[in-house]
Amino acid sequence: MSLRAGENTVARPAPLDDESDAEEEIMAQDFQEQVQYEDGMDDGANGFMGGPQDVQAQLAALAIPLDFQATLETKMISYDNYCSVFHYILNSEGPVDLEAPSVYWAWDVIDEFIYQFNSFCSYRQRVALKAENSEEISILRENSNIWGCYSVLNVLYSLIQRSQISEQLAAMKRGDDPAQFAGEYGNRSLYKSLGYFSIIGLLRVHCLLGDFSLALKTLDDIELSKKSMFARVMAAHFTTYYYVGFSYMMMHRYADAIRMFSHILVYASRTKNIQKNSQYDSITKQNDQMYALIAICVAFHPTRLDDTIHTALREKYGEQFNRMQRGGPEALPLFEELFRGACPKFISPTPPDFDNPEINIDPVEHHLTIFMEEVKNNIWSPTVKSYLKLYTTMDLKKLAGFLEVEPEQLRNWLLVNKQRSRQVRWSEGGLLDGEVVNSSDLDYAMQGDLIHVSEVKVGRRLTDWYLRNLARTY
Amino acid sequence: MGVPFDFAPDRPEHIDAILNGLDRYNPETTAVFQDYVASQCENQTYDCYANMALLKLYQFNPHLTRDETTTNILCKALTVFPSPDFSLCLALLPPSVLASSLTSSDSLAEAVQKLAELSRQLNSCDYAGFWATLDSDDLYADLVADVAGFDELMRVRIAVTVSQAVREVERPLLESWLNLRGDEFEQFVRGVCGWEVDGPVVRVPMNKENEAKGTVVRENVRFDQFSRMIRRAYEQPA
Repeated sequence: MSLRAGENTVARPAPLDDESDAEEEIMAQDFQEQVQYEDGMDDGANGFMGGPQDVQAQLAALAIPLDFQATLETKMISYDNYCSVFHYILNSEGPVDLEAPSVYWAWDVIDEFIYQFNSFCSYRQRVALKAENSEEISILRENSNIWGCYSVLNVLYSLIQRSQISEQLAAMKRGDDPAQFAGEYGNRSLYKSLGYFSIIGLLRVHCLLGDFSLALKTLDDIELSKKSMFARVMAAHFTTYYYVGFSYMMMHRYADAIRMFSHILVYASRTKNIQKNSQYDSITKQNDQMYALIAICVAFHPTRLDDTIHTALREKYGEQFNRMQRGGPEALPLFEELFRGACPKFISPTPPDFDNPEINIDPVEHHLTIFMEEVKNNIWSPTVKSYLKLYTTMDLKKLAGFLEVEPEQLRNWLLVNKQRSRQVRWSEGGLLDGEVVNSSDLDYAMQGDLIHVSEVKVGRRLTDWYLRNLARTY
Repeated sequence: MGVPFDFAPDRPEHIDAILNGLDRYNPETTAVFQDYVASQCENQTYDCYANMALLKLYQFNPHLTRDETTTNILCKALTVFPSPDFSLCLALLPPSVLASSLTSSDSLAEAVQKLAELSRQLNSCDYAGFWATLDSDDLYADLVADVAGFDELMRVRIAVTVSQAVREVERPLLESWLNLRGDEFEQFVRGVCGWEVDGPVVRVPMNKENEAKGTVVRENVRFDQFSRMIRRAYEQPA
């Protein structure tokens, strides 16, 4: 009965596009299962509760966020807690006989673990840069191994290996029974879910460290679809697409980045009604960040967005969106502002140099500098394109006159724009796979000073049109 | 046809094994990767994915960093512009290397910023400027010295990007882009690129990129896109 209710809620607000009905139904079922699963889980846990109560409590505690104003000491104790529990889970003799407190628990633990690692590194870097609080500096100096990136990666990789989750996922892809490849650890839901979300955790950590290609490579085993396990936990679903989209953006694959952001934003706007729990609040910020990123990507790669997203984008970033699309040097600060607000909080993996405070530059600035090079390089493309659209042939010197620049400068811009219109775009296989395609609706070639322009016209969007008109007949 | 970013045709098996396992984090493999970078420089092969694994090891273990290998990796990344490899490599370097205020004390930072300038000129297609900059400072000669055939590799890359956008170009202009004059120029343009030199102009044969043909993108309407519509007709009789 609630399946039907769920299905109707999903189906009604859904705009007309190519998302098939079957997928919507699976989505609704997932939520249904999730609820049942949780109920069943409680019973199981109650039955089990004869076991070590304190471990259960400790497990639950791991998923609880630290207080915003937690002291350095609390942060360090928290690290020790994670270490001892993960050590217990990973290095006991054989798999430990514990059940996860809830289905969200595994995600929450990995999420909070990485969040604390992330904020600790940022904090440590700021303390070093300011060089004011000598007491904290000396504590941090003495405990340079706390929240070390090797130990964090070690936890994530160990969870992945113990649970043999990669083997399980590979089996699922082939259509085999994953349980046969799971081993004695991986058959337990605690290990399986921790292992699974550790893969997503790795995606995130690699991205935070600025290794975008490795971040995408990490997801080789995971199938990005609504049927994936991560899609059951809204926050995990969001996080995955945010980091995948961001990594694509940093690899200059804007079409792919837009595809990722659109997918999840459309999904979020459709499921708003059935996401009545607290999960939804926590992703609102990431939601806005992704709108900012999509605005940046569209400025690089003008494209037609889903109507829902387009409307929301106009509401949130209307002014900036227009100005970025227009390009020109006055748009540069906007790119900077949106990037700063929407990028992950990048970190350096190693402890800062406390002796030379000034060299501990915020890694966010580092990535911003690199990214802005790319922005500056493309900043004239919209202007050039807007002129070329008006002609089929054009003299280069004449156009340079219109634009009030040297002909040689314009020639360079034309070459740049041509290069950037050839982008790698995913079609099948792993996330790093892709083919070079012409991503622009405008193409041109230079014959001496003569520019030949041609346009890629998009035929009528028939499916949309049919569906919209058919819907009216009901 | 595209190839995945992490694919390199000439990658030896032992490197592949390290990259796919946890040994990619093992500081002891640094030496293996360094040798691999040296061999790429010598043999004119290129493997960005493996080079980034080495930069990551440096990132995690700064005391192991070898400046020379780092700059060699960056030079190799220049030879495949306009792909994002150079900026992806930069992203793995310590943040201090790009801060201009700190250059004086740090030779790696100075070198990296010099190379970043080259990258900027290449990406903005200021090819004449690129050659001029490369020639302007002895430090550049040192930086690219290890990369066998650097000039030639750059010329080929530039020629590729030019051929995408150009059908005909004035000879003096192309000479400045390729930094070649006279016989050398004709040899390169005819022999390596297969283009036609006709007095003051050079003709680039038609290819898929420079024909700039207008097309109309059509949408295929699939029946299953209407499944929702049809089912609704059954479920809610009007």
